[in-house]
Amino acid sequence: MKITRPDSLKEAAKLIATGGVAVAGGSGFQLEFSQGQTPPAQYVPIGHLIPKGIQGLTLGAGTPLEEIRHANIPLLSKACADVAAPNVRRLATLGGNLAWGKGCLIPALIALDAVVETTEGAMSVLEYLKAPFGIILSLTVRPLEDNKPKSTWRKVGLRQAFTASIIASAGMMSVKHGQISGLRLAVGGGATPPQRLYDAEAWLLGQTLEDVDLTDLRHRMRAEISAPDCAFRTASYRKRVAAAGLVAGLFGAPDVPLHKTTRRPTKMPLPELTELSRSAGQKRWQTRPDMPAKVRGKLLYLTDKREAQMLVGRILRAGRPHARILAIDTSKAEALSGVKAVVTHRDIKGLNGFGIVFQDQPALCADKVRYTGDPVAAVAAIDEATASKALSLIKVTYEDLPVVTEARAALMPDTPLVHETGNLVTEVSHGRGDTELEWTEAWANVAHIVEETYVTPRQMHGFMETEGGWAAPEGAGLLICAGGQHGARDQMQLSRILDMPTENLRVITSPTGGAFGGKDELTVQPALALLAQKSGQAVRLHLSRAESVQAGTKRNPMWIKMKTGCDAKGKVIVQDVDVLSECGAYASLSPGVLETAMEHVVGPYAIAHYRARGRLAYTNNGTCGAFRGFGANQMTYAIECQMDRLAGLCGLDPVDMRRRNLRALGSPGVLGQAVAPTERLPEMLAAASASRMWQPFAVKEDEWAGVGMALNYQGNGLGTIPEDEADFGLALKDGKIQALCGLDEMGQGLIASLHAAVSDKLGCDRADIYAVIGDTKHAPDSGSTTAARGGYVVWRGVEETAPAFQAALLGRAAQILNCASDTLAIVPGGITKFGLNTQTPCLTFADLGDVAPVQAHYLFPKTNYTKGNARFIFAFGATLARIAVNRITGMVRVVDFEMHTAAGPVMDMASYLGQMEGGLVQALGATLTEDMPYHAGHPVARNFDSYMMPNVKDAPEHIRVTAHESLDPEDPFGPRGAGELGVGAVAPAIANAVADAIGFWPAITPISPETILTVMDSFTEMDNLTTMEGRA
Amino acid sequence: MIQFKLNGVPAQIAADAMLVTYLREDIGATATKIGCDIGRCGACTVLRDGAPINACLVMGWQIEHAEITTITGLETQPAGRVLIKAMEIENGFQCGYCAPGVMMSLTGLLSVESLPDDAMIEEALEGNICRCTGYHSILRGARLARDMMKDTRR
Ligand code: FES
Ligand code: FES
Repeated sequence: MKITRPDSLKEAAKLIATGGVAVAGGSGFQLEFSQGQTPPAQYVPIGHLIPKGIQGLTLGAGTPLEEIRHANIPLLSKACADVAAPNVRRLATLGGNLAWGKGCLIPALIALDAVVETTEGAMSVLEYLKAPFGIILSLTVRPLEDNKPKSTWRKVGLRQAFTASIIASAGMMSVKHGQISGLRLAVGGGATPPQRLYDAEAWLLGQTLEDVDLTDLRHRMRAEISAPDCAFRTASYRKRVAAAGLVAGLFGAPDVPLHKTTRRPTKMPLPELTELSRSAGQKRWQTRPDMPAKVRGKLLYLTDKREAQMLVGRILRAGRPHARILAIDTSKAEALSGVKAVVTHRDIKGLNGFGIVFQDQPALCADKVRYTGDPVAAVAAIDEATASKALSLIKVTYEDLPVVTEARAALMPDTPLVHETGNLVTEVSHGRGDTELEWTEAWANVAHIVEETYVTPRQMHGFMETEGGWAAPEGAGLLICAGGQHGARDQMQLSRILDMPTENLRVITSPTGGAFGGKDELTVQPALALLAQKSGQAVRLHLSRAESVQAGTKRNPMWIKMKTGCDAKGKVIVQDVDVLSECGAYASLSPGVLETAMEHVVGPYAIAHYRARGRLAYTNNGTCGAFRGFGANQMTYAIECQMDRLAGLCGLDPVDMRRRNLRALGSPGVLGQAVAPTERLPEMLAAASASRMWQPFAVKEDEWAGVGMALNYQGNGLGTIPEDEADFGLALKDGKIQALCGLDEMGQGLIASLHAAVSDKLGCDRADIYAVIGDTKHAPDSGSTTAARGGYVVWRGVEETAPAFQAALLGRAAQILNCASDTLAIVPGGITKFGLNTQTPCLTFADLGDVAPVQAHYLFPKTNYTKGNARFIFAFGATLARIAVNRITGMVRVVDFEMHTAAGPVMDMASYLGQMEGGLVQALGATLTEDMPYHAGHPVARNFDSYMMPNVKDAPEHIRVTAHESLDPEDPFGPRGAGELGVGAVAPAIANAVADAIGFWPAITPISPETILTVMDSFTEMDNLTTMEGRA
Repeated sequence: MIQFKLNGVPAQIAADAMLVTYLREDIGATATKIGCDIGRCGACTVLRDGAPINACLVMGWQIEHAEITTITGLETQPAGRVLIKAMEIENGFQCGYCAPGVMMSLTGLLSVESLPDDAMIEEALEGNICRCTGYHSILRGARLARDMMKDTRR
């Protein structure tokens, strides 16, 4: 790109006339390019030529929005607070926002009747937008002349802050002697064209303020506003929120009838709860060992590796959802100077397939592509530019195939096949084995039935570090370093693909910048390995976010049809469940996800009769797999909403309803399997009953408040069928106690847990420990860092190895000190003698010399049930949410979360709290804003501009987390998994809270603000309470 | 070539090179992260003359003679040093990939506004996505840094 800096406005105008693009702050261009616009050949910076700064009501076009935001300009400063984020606003300019034509500020500028001064003369905002000639120099805003004009501004987006505009509205009104004397109303922003609402203005002008028929006004505005549909919101939604926003802003929020609320529970005695916080934790709150490097930017992630001579790798993606590959021609790419390797399926010596459950996913596609992110070829070149160029030179000839766009359709006869094995990947059915007669009778005996289809989204993991890493020849084989969740399994899968013995492959998987299940399956490793092998050089490769969005696995969307019946007293008797899910193009762990969902089909409740069927379909919609919660959270959403709805029908409060239905402690699990002791459901219910969350709380004047709860019940470990084993070791090396554990640090606090568990057990300091993790050469295979199994693996590993290791250390010390080892003890820093009244050890660990690893091999606790996959160990919790429903926008905001957990002893308090808080907010995203819709096999969201993960403003104001840490006296199983608990029951807690606020249970997540508005509209229509009774 | 200062040291960048690309790809300064490349995640946040901006939205021509501070230069900033301490105490991060950006956004705030209220802290973080923490540990760290600065002022 050419950057030509003009010396005068005249020169700038000339350059622009010949195709140059004027740029001031330049903050909007990257986004436009990511959305498909071609970057211009020439930029013409004009920032130095146009006025900057604010003088009275005149603002230089070059003024950064962040400056205006703090300048107290009527309407405009408030509007600026809603444009992008402060860091972007420092770059973005006022002129740029207007010249772009879609800027959020435009409605505010129209309402302020701004005069646009350009090099071609002065004009109004609308005139400028109609014929945007000349370079904008300044804007003069002209608030209505009145000593206190009313003004309103509202931007409605997709989340609480830093969002694209769905529609923004701005209004200004002056009133003289009770009559409306001046008025400017405008809408626009994003996809909505800027518009001044002249008809509504004319209708209002002169009216007496009190006499305005607000319903009529809203209808008039809705009719006048022209707004488009987009992939995220309809035209009708845009019109109605803009109209409602303007009316509420100028005339006050409408009065609304009372709504029906959930009954409040009776307080039960509180179980023992540990408050998880720094102040309450005191000595238990320690700085995590990985924190100092992380806060200083000193931690080297695997995608940060740079070395001289390191090549840059890129992957060629299909870019089409379903097609046969007719030919792949790489000759031009190979001939490009600087290209060191081009690989395709032809370079794969072993099995061209991977997959944790079955190997249906090609490392590089040979004959067919099944989703847009399918990899077809990869290149390694001397730099990024050459690699990109080489990709564009690879010619793949395709024959497009009909696209399977929907799970239900995928299972119809005559639908094209994604794989030859058929579109049905798996089907899981179980039940209590009733005869038809028993089944019919059960249904005949119920007093209340609730039937609903719950829909859960295709959530994206959204780890901040996208998939990537580096690989290099090492010895007779390869070293492959890429963020992952189970190095030994990656090693095994790679050995199959490369046809290379596992001993020749060393895989490093830590540290990882977030995974959440999305790096459990192989990601970029096959391409990296093939490139390093073929080029004989080190290669690095890091997916751009856009590529990660397209290629990465997502959460399996589910359609859960659940019909539940209870008797008049609230005892649930019978339940029928039918689940449909899709895995996209490849299975990965999706069959396990479905099985897990089915295993949680009755939740933590005893239901005498149930039947359940689940089906998983292939489609061409991306690819899905493991994601924190692993199906259990989807099913919990359904069952926990059913509980509240039935409670409402029976006149019970949510706690009482659940109490009546809790599974008997110690009874078999849903599949009839034995389950571990320490069930803590009653304690969690008691904690929920006594929560302060049920107290009234303040919300904004245009919101309704609601409180909801749900129980967490999450199976830990991989289940009965997969191998679930671990190796672990303790060694002394160079004065440090090495914890040898092949799990991965992805942020969850593995290292902190290792330090905590080892030091607690041995009596040394946390700082005496060094964690050797995530490296198949130096750490043993401890299994996968998934399924909330890490906590147990660490604890048990320490339990198994510590006694012998301690004996070895003390034995060594006894030799050196020439005394009996039973007079010695481990203390921080080394070894001391009993009775020595000193803090300093008489031998440091370094004095002992190295001690060879003490190793252990053990199984994750399992049941003996093998007819299906069943969990043995469960973790428990109760999640409560306070929410506010916005009456203007229909958007739901979480005000507070409270979570009580029962997952055994907490090893490292900060890590445990972090897992809960992070899980809660991640699940808040799936409940309120996150989804990855597909259109004709193409993902609709391409990056973080339209995929909406929670922002700091979406996070609740308060989060409180407690832990009930006790174990049953004979419980030998230690800490339960904490990784998945946080996400487990957020969706139903929020949905139940929404129902508390408006009497309606959202069954589709993310919850559609439009649906909420429709429900609320129906209230105003039937505005007396008696008709409300029928809604519960 | 455009002249500027990177963490106090004179440096050169092409006028049309994106700053984040220059840092990570051209000179291997990978302490600054990349998460979206379109200004929507804040992983690439650096200070330009003390004010946080997105390095994926800024090209060489926009930083002529500017002082660019990345996380690598954080400890040269008084507010940065306090923030580091506070984040360590509060365990602000999990995977830490967002940290280089978050730390710069907050340092930018604390440098100009030594006693920001909670709302200002939240606004300063609006452009930084963190997928791991749910933000509360970050907010606790930021508030502790503010309180520590308050204490040193007394
Ligand atoms: S990489 Fe710059 S904001 Fe995301
Ligand atoms: S700590 Fe992982 S993204 Fe913030």
